[in-house]
Amino acid sequence: MQARFDRLVELASRSVARRSSRRGFLGTFAMAITGVAALPLLPVRRGSVAEAAELPAKPTGAAGKEAGAPTKPKIVTDPSSCEYWKYCAIDGFLCACCGGTSTTCPPGTEPSPITWIGTCQNPTDGRDYLVSYNDCCGRTTCGACTCVRNEGEKPMYRMSLNNDVNWCMANDNPNYHCSVSVILGVAEK
Amino acid sequence: MRLARLGVALAAIVPAAVLAAAVGSTPAPLAPEHIGIEKLPKRSPHWAYLLDVSWSNYIDERVYVYDGDAGRLLGMMDLGYYGNFAESPDGKTSALAATYWSRGGHGTRTEVVEWYDNQTLKPRGELILPAKRAQVGAITPFNLAYSADGRFLYSTNLTPASSVSIIDVPKNTVTAEVDTDGCVQAIPSAPHRFTAICENGRLLTVAIDESGHEASRAVSDKFFDVDKDPVFLQSVPTPAGVTFISFLGDVHAVDLTGDKPRFDPLWSVVSKTERGHWRPGGQQMLAYNVPLNRYFVVMHQGGEGSHKESGSEIWVFDGASHQRVARWPMNVAKHGGAIALLATRDDKPLLYVATDKSALQVLDARSGRVLHTEPKLGQSLWYMQNP
Repeated sequence: MQARFDRLVELASRSVARRSSRRGFLGTFAMAITGVAALPLLPVRRGSVAEAAELPAKPTGAAGKEAGAPTKPKIVTDPSSCEYWKYCAIDGFLCACCGGTSTTCPPGTEPSPITWIGTCQNPTDGRDYLVSYNDCCGRTTCGACTCVRNEGEKPMYRMSLNNDVNWCMANDNPNYHCSVSVILGVAEK
Repeated sequence: MRLARLGVALAAIVPAAVLAAAVGSTPAPLAPEHIGIEKLPKRSPHWAYLLDVSWSNYIDERVYVYDGDAGRLLGMMDLGYYGNFAESPDGKTSALAATYWSRGGHGTRTEVVEWYDNQTLKPRGELILPAKRAQVGAITPFNLAYSADGRFLYSTNLTPASSVSIIDVPKNTVTAEVDTDGCVQAIPSAPHRFTAICENGRLLTVAIDESGHEASRAVSDKFFDVDKDPVFLQSVPTPAGVTFISFLGDVHAVDLTGDKPRFDPLWSVVSKTERGHWRPGGQQMLAYNVPLNRYFVVMHQGGEGSHKESGSEIWVFDGASHQRVARWPMNVAKHGGAIALLATRDDKPLLYVATDKSALQVLDARSGRVLHTEPKLGQSLWYMQNP
């Protein structure tokens, strides 16, 4: 599987590099990375931090979900719950409800070699982790445990942080079934 | 066997005759009926194409044809898996580009654009596409789009390298695959250009020559910052080009009539105090009606990461003054929050509102009055388009 993935990244990289600008190449290449070794290249930036500069310092008026006194959130440890911390940027069906787990695909399906990336905070140790959201492919949509969370998610022109495209696109069978979340490592501050 | 059939027929007929004889004043029995095929009525600007992605069984997407005045489903077309939809400028044909497998969800994969006759709702031809068509959950008018004269159809690809297949419609052939350098979508402008949106906040415009190949390309100035406030992919066509709305509610109207895109002055759908708390969101969060020059926006209260949440209200804006002219609350508890909007093109427009419970409401787009409600239509109405 790893060898196949390496070939895929190599082929994709060469193909893109031939026809694209350096900036375009880097953007496209980043989304095709799943290996921890490549982490320094990842263009991860938390959307909440980025947007903070654009917001009024002390908002008043309409009360959004962010308003009000902070309360200590209940820690969810069930990987079949959409509230599970690793799912902060997932959009799809949870494989943990479809015969797999939070890191394994259900029987009969294949993981996608290309992914999108999220940065999620583990409430237990307070650390931010880089999480790879691989899709499991080869069957139609599972239909159980829809989970749509979009922390730091961006439109598809920033593909590495987008969960709207079908990440099964490069599989032999690009039929999307469900999604897993795999910790890549601790996010650098 | 023949006797048996006769027996069944008699059993069906005799009781009615006996009943009629017994009750002298009973009206004559109903005449036998004949099965037929309904013909579509004359097209109305108040119709809409409703795209149901069938989220829990994605290989079964469909396009409903709906009459907003009658509050009635008129027919349906198959849209396969991750399908895209476009109607020809003359209104005679619908192009449905989709993925199919020979064994339902597996087997041999086919990427195809089918040409549906809009009178009969039957496919009358097809074109096999390269197996790289973009499969994108954010559905817009620009995943698949006709040139204004109907000569070319632009079909977007993603492998994940991005490109656009140029389809010569009269010749029913793919003439070229244009590399879009990481930029996505194909927003058409006359005569034969398309514009893609790029990660660096710029637009890439590619001109197509008469043979259906790239003639030239140009990159615009930067008009947004993806890190600070990205624009939604889901934009709306305008007479001059296209209008984008950002996650935080800024409106970017772009004029695509010239060789280079021209950006109108920025305006916002939120006040300073609302900014960051009231946000656009959903699947098709922006609609526009030309005769009234009004924008309609699905709005919700939420923070960062809430950009796909359904809306509790629809806000209405005058396109000239940029003033908010109405706030229409949704009955979220009863019908769900709004996720998709479509304004019809006429000067007495309807506003179609689809919800996250797959309800459909048809509003008078001038007053907000609800004219018709479908409590549940299909499974997941994420995108709607004008005929």
